[in-house]
Amino acid sequence: MAEGDRRALGGPGVVLVVLYGVLALAATGRSVLQITSYYDRAPLAYTLSALAAAVYILATWCLARGGKWVRVGKWACTVELVGVLVVGTASYLVPDAFPDKTVWSHFGQGYGFVPLVLPVLGLLWFRKVERDATAAEDAEAPAA
Amino acid sequence: MIAPLTYVVVALACLLLVTSAYYAWRDRLIDDLLLGLAGLVEIGLLVLLVLGLAGLDHIDDSTEKATFAAYLVSLPLIPIGTSLLAIKEKSRWAMGSMAVGAFAVAVMALRLQQIWNSNG
Repeated sequence: MAEGDRRALGGPGVVLVVLYGVLALAATGRSVLQITSYYDRAPLAYTLSALAAAVYILATWCLARGGKWVRVGKWACTVELVGVLVVGTASYLVPDAFPDKTVWSHFGQGYGFVPLVLPVLGLLWFRKVERDATAAEDAEAPAA
Repeated sequence: MIAPLTYVVVALACLLLVTSAYYAWRDRLIDDLLLGLAGLVEIGLLVLLVLGLAGLDHIDDSTEKATFAAYLVSLPLIPIGTSLLAIKEKSRWAMGSMAVGAFAVAVMALRLQQIWNSNG
């Protein structure tokens, strides 16, 4: 294996790519329509929705590419986790600001809570990929 | 009238789900049968896209119309994506991801029908 070949794709990572890809698709499609057709109804919620979509696309890319993207992917997953927790809580506290379901509102209830679970799985996977890469580097380095 | 086609697509997606899950379990790779199934699902979704867009005025509520259109356009991308991934990445996990994709297609197609039914 090449030095520090942090391949993310392969093994369970493929499943994550698909899960993220589907979520990215759903979030992007919905948010594009929300913003173009009736942005004024809930500007904050729709802006967050678009942000979420962008981060999902980024995370999907990082999962698929691996390598140096692993670090970016960890940040993307962290942003998602914080986002779903903050927006989820806010949507219960200030329901008026979130009239429609978005990926992050109500902790991703409209998406079967997948947005809540996925960042955690993503972070765990990225951590494993990094560890494997480090282990591979250690194994390659001569003992003396 | 998109209901009959939706249910055909859902049935095909379920078949694809079961078959790819079986492949993942038996550690088999993508072959003509699985690719053909995914192709059938894809054709169904494309016809659904055309019919759905043609009948878009059937849905009155603007929010629901947006969701409906977003699902219509997103759906056909899923089988293509998972199939390409399965061809590129030859492992049982790729079969698992085809199963996940098929599940997503089934759920989204049912949701599509639900929106359609709730309008008229």
